[in-house]
Amino acid sequence: MSAVIELDDLRVRLGRREVLEGISCRLGVAGAGKAIGLLGPNGAGKSTLIQTLLGFHQPSAGRARVLGVDCHSQSRQVKARIGYMPENDAFIADLTAVSFLRLMGEITGLPRDVALEKAHEVLFHVGLGEARYRAIGTYSLGMKQMAKLAQAILHGPELVILDEPTNGLDPAARSRMLKLIREMKDNHGMSVVLCSHLLRDVEEVCDEAVILKAGKIVHHADLEAERRTNRRFVELEVTGDDSGLFEVLREHGAEGVNEGGGHWRIVLPPGVEIDSLWRLIARLDLSVHRLTHRRDSLEEIFLKAVGHLQASPGQEPAVQEVAADGRL
Amino acid sequence: MAVYKRGYRRYQGHLTGYWSRLLALPRFAWSRLMAQRLVVIVMMVSLFWPLACGVFIYVSNHTELWQGLDRGFTRFLEINPRFFVIFMNFQAVFAVLLAAFAGPSLIAPDLANNALPLYFSRPMSRADYVLARMLVLLGLLSPVTWVPGVLLFGMQTGMAGWDWFQLNWKIGLGILGGFLLWITFVSMVAMASSAYVKWRIVAGGLVLAFFFVLAGAGAMIDNILRVEWGSLLNPTLAVNKIWRWLLGAEALPGPEAYEHAIALAVMAAGLLWVLNRKLRPVEVVS
Repeated sequence: MSAVIELDDLRVRLGRREVLEGISCRLGVAGAGKAIGLLGPNGAGKSTLIQTLLGFHQPSAGRARVLGVDCHSQSRQVKARIGYMPENDAFIADLTAVSFLRLMGEITGLPRDVALEKAHEVLFHVGLGEARYRAIGTYSLGMKQMAKLAQAILHGPELVILDEPTNGLDPAARSRMLKLIREMKDNHGMSVVLCSHLLRDVEEVCDEAVILKAGKIVHHADLEAERRTNRRFVELEVTGDDSGLFEVLREHGAEGVNEGGGHWRIVLPPGVEIDSLWRLIARLDLSVHRLTHRRDSLEEIFLKAVGHLQASPGQEPAVQEVAADGRL
Repeated sequence: MAVYKRGYRRYQGHLTGYWSRLLALPRFAWSRLMAQRLVVIVMMVSLFWPLACGVFIYVSNHTELWQGLDRGFTRFLEINPRFFVIFMNFQAVFAVLLAAFAGPSLIAPDLANNALPLYFSRPMSRADYVLARMLVLLGLLSPVTWVPGVLLFGMQTGMAGWDWFQLNWKIGLGILGGFLLWITFVSMVAMASSAYVKWRIVAGGLVLAFFFVLAGAGAMIDNILRVEWGSLLNPTLAVNKIWRWLLGAEALPGPEAYEHAIALAVMAAGLLWVLNRKLRPVEVVS
């Protein structure tokens, strides 16, 4: 099975600036219906990477392959197999949604009658069935996002690249968008690349995540494995003598990092509940100012990868820059 | 089963070929253009002159209608290269007007609505997109230029006979080649204007300005510097001289037809440069 995305020392230069600085990785498995999250701070190179996969930019060195096909030399074959939902508004204002989708279908290679049929079908699927004869220019932001998703999946691509799909959506629409993305991979076997600033979206939908920083991959996380560990992350703020807390936590199989000033980041292993932590704190006679807990770990990973956090609980602080091969 | 009941299914059938995909764009564009009243009106008006020329050819080929008229007038009725050059000059103006009305609605809305990434993320290159848009204009301008021109030539051949054709076949080729050259150039001007300016009305104005301003600038250079090469900037004069050379009509004073052809080629290269700069899926800021 070939990888969905395969990057081999990929370098992309825009003007005088090298935006992607020799990144290498293998992401996903073609046909497995998995989602890959693409994360990173602004200017990290996420959009440039997506645009390079789409053949918009020519690599200055190295190679990028999508579904086993070279993105630059065989870009037509690649584009026939992928669907792309851009971040910004992108449509033809005076066309109705049906005409717009039909046109997009026909230029992708769907026969005329099939393109029309699929346009109706996919518009109902994304919830725009009743508004399908309205000009897209009159749609609300949420409807335009759905129309963009519809044009991306109209031709049944093997890989769908979604750039900030939940931008500007209210909670209900966001939830619907994420549900549709999950269905795409779970029910229809499509591979998905999700580029988002919202860690929660990536956490909810993706099976693996790649974190980019300054044109390099700084972390590649297997979110499925992270979920399986079912660890619980706790942020704690206490006053009093907390010097004994580290040892007490360790006795209970938990790990913690003292960030100074009574601030702690703690990982509770599976089976250890928050109540146990309260009891430990009471035993040490500490006053609790704040205690928050969550199950997701992506924020932790992200903050550490982009350098906003020295180390995860239980780990020594990183003393050197992360390697370009994606390992911390 | 009703479409709203059956849900989404991935399409896994065959995909159409290159030309089917490419011609989808002109098909959609023509249907939208034909919904614009102004474009239809200009198109209809531009067919009056070919009709009048058809009547003229009919009259000139029926000698019994103008027997007894003076020699000057009978020479006027003669169908020769000069007649076709006059016909072509009129239609050239209509071609520019039609391109100015129809051209801006082709690329400007795609740029304004950021639609280019949608096209270019599909199996369509920038060259394909330009070709598809060019086909829209070529298809629109053909019925008012070379199609009536060739029909008039055919009508004259049918009425004047084989001998006339043997002597004047170059006129037919000249009409076809000359008009194709002109509508290709006009289409490029319309597309470059549409790509350069995102507002349709301004883009339409820019198409007209291209021809008027260059003609005015050429005349100014000629008059101020007392030279002849300023007219090389005038695309309408350039194409007129090329047509006269193709049809074998009397040449106009000033630079030669080949010099005008070179000037047109340089302008066309400039227009292609504009299209290349503007038609990108994403804007890269250096």
